[in-house]
This record gives sequence, C-alpha cells and structure tokens, in this order.
Amino acid sequence: MSKLIYSIILIVIGTLVGIYLPWYAMGLAFGLIAYVLNMPLKSSFLTGFIAGFLLWIISAYWLDYQHPSTLPTRMAQIFPLKGNVFALFVLTGVLGGLFSGIWTWAGARLRQK
Amino acid sequence: MKIIKSAFPLVIALFLTYAMNQSWGTLPPLGKLFSPFHGFWMNAESPESGEPTEETLQIAGLHQPVQVVYDEMGVPHVFAQDDHDLFLAQGYLTAKDRLWQMEFQTHFAGGRISEIVGEKGIASDQFQRRMGSVYGAEKSFEGMKEDVVSKTALEAYSAGVNAYIGSLSDRQLPLEYKLLNYRPEPWTPIKSALFLKNMSFVLASGTDDLKMTNILRKYGREVAENLFPNYPFQESPIIPVGSPVDFKSVPIPAGPADFTGLGSAMTTPEKDPNIGSNNWAVAGNKTVSGLPILANDPHLTLSLPSIWYQMQLVAPGVNVYGSTMPGTPNVIIGFNKNVAWGVTNVGSDVLDWYQVKFKDASKKEYWHDGKWKKTTMRIETFKIKGKKDMVDTIFFTHHGPVVYLSHEKPFKSNIPVGHALRWIAHEKSQELTTFYQLNRAKNYEDYKKALTFYSAPAQNFVFASNEGDIALWVNGKFPLKSKLQGKYLLDGTDAAADWQGFIPQAHNPHVKNPVRGFVSSANQFSVDPSYPYYLGWQYAAPERGRRINERLAVMEKITMDSLRGLQNDNFNIRARELLPLLFAQVKSPNAAQSKALAALKAWNLVNSPASEGATIFENWVLTLQSCLWDDEFAYDEKVPMNRPTMDRTIQLMKSEPASRWWDDLKTPKKESMSDIVMKSLQANIDTLVKQHGPQGPEWAWFKHKQTGVRHLIPGMDALSRLNIPIGGGGTIVNAATTKTGPSWRLIVELSKDGKPKAYGVYPGGQSGNPGSSHYDDLIDTWAKGELKPLLFLESADQKSNRLRKKITLSK
Repeated sequence: MSKLIYSIILIVIGTLVGIYLPWYAMGLAFGLIAYVLNMPLKSSFLTGFIAGFLLWIISAYWLDYQHPSTLPTRMAQIFPLKGNVFALFVLTGVLGGLFSGIWTWAGARLRQK
Repeated sequence: MKIIKSAFPLVIALFLTYAMNQSWGTLPPLGKLFSPFHGFWMNAESPESGEPTEETLQIAGLHQPVQVVYDEMGVPHVFAQDDHDLFLAQGYLTAKDRLWQMEFQTHFAGGRISEIVGEKGIASDQFQRRMGSVYGAEKSFEGMKEDVVSKTALEAYSAGVNAYIGSLSDRQLPLEYKLLNYRPEPWTPIKSALFLKNMSFVLASGTDDLKMTNILRKYGREVAENLFPNYPFQESPIIPVGSPVDFKSVPIPAGPADFTGLGSAMTTPEKDPNIGSNNWAVAGNKTVSGLPILANDPHLTLSLPSIWYQMQLVAPGVNVYGSTMPGTPNVIIGFNKNVAWGVTNVGSDVLDWYQVKFKDASKKEYWHDGKWKKTTMRIETFKIKGKKDMVDTIFFTHHGPVVYLSHEKPFKSNIPVGHALRWIAHEKSQELTTFYQLNRAKNYEDYKKALTFYSAPAQNFVFASNEGDIALWVNGKFPLKSKLQGKYLLDGTDAAADWQGFIPQAHNPHVKNPVRGFVSSANQFSVDPSYPYYLGWQYAAPERGRRINERLAVMEKITMDSLRGLQNDNFNIRARELLPLLFAQVKSPNAAQSKALAALKAWNLVNSPASEGATIFENWVLTLQSCLWDDEFAYDEKVPMNRPTMDRTIQLMKSEPASRWWDDLKTPKKESMSDIVMKSLQANIDTLVKQHGPQGPEWAWFKHKQTGVRHLIPGMDALSRLNIPIGGGGTIVNAATTKTGPSWRLIVELSKDGKPKAYGVYPGGQSGNPGSSHYDDLIDTWAKGELKPLLFLESADQKSNRLRKKITLSK
C-alpha cells in the first residue's frame, strides 16, 4: 500500500478516535494501526506525521471556519506568535504531526522484531 | 537486546505523550490544548445569526420546566414556576457563562490559589486565611442557613452550578481550565458565602491604623490630628446637613485610655484608593416624566470576565432585572415593576487592630482586662500544586485572628504584626435575605425591612419607587465606638478598647424624600459631624460627591439621558479649586514650564480623553503631594505612613503659607510654598517627558491614564482590553482610572403602570468565554459613555425582535 492510502486510513481512524476518546488515544491508535498493517518502517514517521499534521490543521481550520471568533488571534498572542493565526494553524499541525509520526514509527518498529 | 531496540521508539512515544499531557511551569499541556478535538479550538463560538434558535436541556432536580430566553446582549431572561427552580436555573445559567470565574474568585477568597498556580500563590493564600476569610464565611454561612429562604436559594443555586459542571466533558471545559490544566470541583453553598465575604475584602478591608500609629509615634497626637483631620474642609455629605433625626441615640461608650502602640514596619503594595462608586435618585418633581429616576455606577477593579452578570429572574412573586454577582443567588443591583435600588460603598471604619500581649512563646494565653485569657487555634491546610501540603496555625483572641505574629513578614505593608484583628467581616450575617427581599420589594417599607438583615460590607443603598419615594440608607452593621476609636492601633489588654456592641440598625444614617429633591452618594462622608455616632474618620475624597450634588441641585426637567450625561461627567472640580492656587505661586518659569502652564490655562477643566491639560494637572497633583509631604511621611520605607489628603493640602495652601511642612527636609535650604510648587511643576514635566516625549498629542489623558479591563489571570494581556479611550479619573464622576472604574452603569425610570424603562452597560460582556463575541462586546459602548436599553419582559412568550435564543430547562 502506498503512503497515501496509509495516511488516509490514519486520518479516518484519527478523526473517529478524536471525537470519542481522549486526545492521546490518536497516538495509541496510530501505533496500533502501524503494527497491525505492518507499515514500512522507513516511511512510517513521515506517513504518521503527514496524517497527524493534516488532521489537526484541517480540523482546526474547519472549526475556525464554522465558528469565526477572536480566539485564535488571542491564542496566537499567548503563545507568542505575535497574533499570527496562520502560524497558530501551522503550530497545531506540527504538534499533531510530531505526535502522530512518533507513534506510527513506534508501532512499525515494534513489528520489526 | 532486539526487543529493547524494537521497543525504544515506543518509550519515546510514551514519554512524548506524557510531556504533551502535562503543564511545564506556565507552559500549558500542548497536546491536550492544541488537539482540535479537545483543546482551545473547541472553545470558539460563532456570533448568533438572525434566526432565533430553540433547544431543550435536561437538568436533574427541577420541579417544573424553566423557560429561558436570551436577548441580543446574551442576557438570560428566566421564567420559573417557583423560587427553588429559579435559583437552580440561576446557578446553572451563570455557570454556563462564567464557571471558571466563579470558581477562581472563590478559590482566591478562600486562600486556595496555590492549588492552581503552585508555590507562588502561598503568600496571598496565607494572607486571605489569616485575615479570617474562611472563618468569616463559615460564620456567615451559619447565619444564612437560619433563614429558610436563603438556605433554599443557596442549595438550589449550588445544585444548578453542579448540574452544569456534571454536564461538562473535558473538551467542553472553559478555556482557562485548559490553559491552567485543572478541572472544576463541585460547587458548595459555602462558596457563595466566601464570595460575599470577599466583597468585604474588596470594599471594607482598607486599614491605615498602622500608618497612623507610625505618625503618632513620630510627630505626636497634635500633628497627627491637625494633618489628618476627621472631617474634610470641603464636603457635601451623603445625608444632607440638617436632615431631621428620627431616633434617640443610645449612650456612646466611654472609650479606651490613651495608647500609643508599638507600630511596626515592612513594605509591599497596598490597596487601591480608587475603589468607590456613585449612585443617586431624583424625585418626580425634578423629572420630565414626573416619576423618580435612579442611577448607579459601582466602581470596582475592572476585570474580564466581568464582575457582573445581567439577568432577569421571574417566578411567582418576583420579576426582577439587574446585575448579579457570579457565585451568589439573587440580583444585587436592579429593579422590578415597582422599585429600583443601587449601592455604593460606605468607607466607615469596621476593621481594628489590637496589640496582643502573649504570656509566653506558646501563645496559649494573652493578657486582657487584668487576666490571662486563653487563645483558640485554627489549623489551616494548604494544598500546593506540585508540592507537599502546608499546615498553618492561626491564633485567635476574643477580638479575632492574630494575622501575623511579631516575627513574621506581612503580605501587605499596612498590616501590623503582633496584632489581633477585629473585623465586621467575621460576624454572622444574612446579606442574602436583604437581596432576596429587595428583589421582591414593592415600596419603601419593603426596602426598609430588607435592609435590616444586612451587615457587611456596608453600602449606601439608594432607592426609588413608583409611588414617588426616593431614599438612601447608609446601611450595614456599624460597631458602637467612642469618637476616633480605632483611628490608631488599639491596646489589646484594655477592655475599654473593645467594640461595645453595634449601632442600632434603625439609627443608621438615612434620608427619605428630602426637600432638595434628590438623594446621592459617592463614598464621601455619610453624615456631617452632628450625627451622634462615630462611623469613621476618613472616607473617599469629597470631589465626586460635591460635583454630583452641585449638578443635581441645579438640574431640572431631568431625563434618563441627562443622568447618563452626569454619569459620564468629566469635569474636574479639584482643578477648579487648585489651579488658581497653583498659578499664584508660579515664579520665573522656564520654557517647558511656560508651555505646560499655557496648556493648563487654556484647559476647559474637563478630563476628556484627548485632553493634555488633564494629564498635566493630574500628574501635577501627584508630584505636588510627593514634593510637599514625602520628606516627612515617606522618608523610610520601613515605617509606612499616610500622606495628608489633597483636601488638607489645599487648606494648607489657602491658609498656612508659612507652615513648617513646606520646607523640604532633604535640602539644606529652607523652601517656601512657591519653591515647592515650582519644584513639583518641574518634576511633573520631567516625568511626563520621560514617559511620553515632549509635550504634544502623546500627552493625551487617555494615553497617559491607560484604562484597561484585565483578565483575572495576572499578565494575561491577550485576554484583556488595554488602552481604552475613555476620560474621567479617580476624583471625577466618570471614575475610570488605570485599573478601576464604573463596573456597571444603570439608569432606571419607574412607571405607574409597572413598565419601568431601564438602560445599562458594563465594561465586558455576558460570556466569560474569550472565544465568544459576548466576551467583551459591551466595552466600546461603555467607553463611549453610551448605554444599552434593558429588555424587561412580562412573560416568556412575549414577542421581541431582540430575542436570539430560547432554552427550555426540563427535569
């Protein structure tokens, strides 16, 4: 299977897990999927990263689009990104990507005895 | 080995998960906070669109369904079928908009901030508890429980708050919980008592006894009394001079023997002197409508989420609209079909310090009235985030808690060490009963009866009814004291220094339908010296009260709009008085001084936002006070002292030009009044140039004053509104200062047919959620000096194009 298919599977599962379970369940789920599907180790981190990055940045963007408010600007001052909301989206994506990437890698690595 | 290698990434993943689920110092848990399914992204709320929405929520414990309609400001109008349901809904709906604030404020009041922020909160927490905040709340709660109505209200309110807390999943938590990484705990009725007691902390915990004793020790009684007189030279007291007295006073206690305490020292910031308020009511013969109009604007430290939360509460026997305080049931300031009421703070002296003589280091006994008496102890446990619990013992004499022992460092410089605190906030009380009855009051008699239940913090309760009555009671529980008892630190061994009971409530200063056609208060002296009892020796500066009374005396054909104008009055009565005195002392000014003086001469004496004159004047007052008094009264930071008031300074300028106080002891030369005025003018210009550059538009009053409405978490600028373009000032009717100001403006015109008209605004918004459009949407209206019409509904089905959302709460 290609990276793209893997990423799509991860995004779909990540969404479901995100809606019903605590935030960290996404990582565990990604690790498990990587293990069960025997994902190629080499590309596992990148696959997980892309899935997590896209899932978090698109979801954040979708929420902001559905509920426009000053909150993102305020958060981009707290963090401090000088109020730059684009940077806040990117930061959200990178955090989601990093977290997902490492768990996907961990799952894939565990399978390679 | 292989397995270890395979599992290595898993260890990293687990560690990362742990790290992203934790706060690190002030850094929030990044994973939990940024996850779009759980974190802050979930807290954004879109503004309501045009179409009203309907929704039903299940709430356990309701007797009958409750209808709630929200207007375009986000004010809930609550229609319940009994009191129990009304208060349950009030608790639920308030929590829905303000949960974090309610809990944070009561954590603060109860000395529990270190549970949230860790070690850095300990000093504040210990101070709160040593001052007896929890002890006072427990006593007060005992009193509240004795009244069945209050007990029901508190319990139903708690049930409502808890119903909301119970409905929250982690992802729905208010933003601040996510930022600070904790969860709400269940609400209890004692938290409402803590909140109410905290109002005494905010409004009636100012104490200058230590500073006055330091002055007494340094300069003697004659100087202390001369520079710190017990009534201002210019005053317009709340109860008009010459008002009839309708009671025969009880005997005044003899008073303690002369005593000069040890004083003591330390330094840290103190209370903000700008907390004060305005209220007034004008009689029908002065209004266009022929019926009374009432206005109120309580001045408090401005914060976000707002101090106030507007609600309309309707149930059989009650239909009231006004501002509530998140954390307590009932409307605090508001109106119903027949009456309107408001409050301002009374600056009476209800807090005294007694120097304690312990028998030995065990502190188990203390000397009083010729005997060794036993102290009692109270153990307070502090849970500290990330640390072990801390246990603290507080010693009590019959006066109250010994806030700091002789060897301890106080949290604030005005708190003496080695003294027991006697404070009205420790008394059993029934404030809730007062508000419950005011909400339902139909006339003056109901209002009068409601006030008999009230203890602290004492308030000037202004009142107007559609029967045409206007009234004002200076109301609260006032200790019966000898004259000036408690101006200085008291002798804890002298039984005559104890409080000798209380002034009978019916003897509290009051006025009904005075001939002048209005009643008013602005925290100034309650009464002139002819009043038989001693209430206190210092109140807020007289300027606001004088200005309001001077305006109301000449205003005729009054409308709600003309009173709105008075609430926003920026005229500087102090400048009118002081500037000619200052100008007369000017000699050979340099170029910069001439330029500043020219701006002052051209100034219209109005503290408008863009005024340069206001900045130069207000800052000159500060430098003048400092140049005149600091050499004698701020010479050693270890011996904190009061500085004489501006009222006293003006008197010194007018009639004591050769006084010894004009000389600056820090220089070998002997200064004259003129020297000090010129020196203070130069200091004034120097500080302004340093802050804003050369004189020009950058010296605009609002830019200098920097009024801001700040989030309750210190330093959280992103959730605050800073540099608001508003005029006014501490001694101006429009009392907006850097951190304090009119926290709620209300104007109500009563009507015979039970359809009062009302306008109001506060600097914030109904929602406590920074992701809501209602978080701070009223600030601009407030800053402009405008008001919003308040929607007073008769029934839940009443049609109005201002309704946006309907919620049915069902059991």
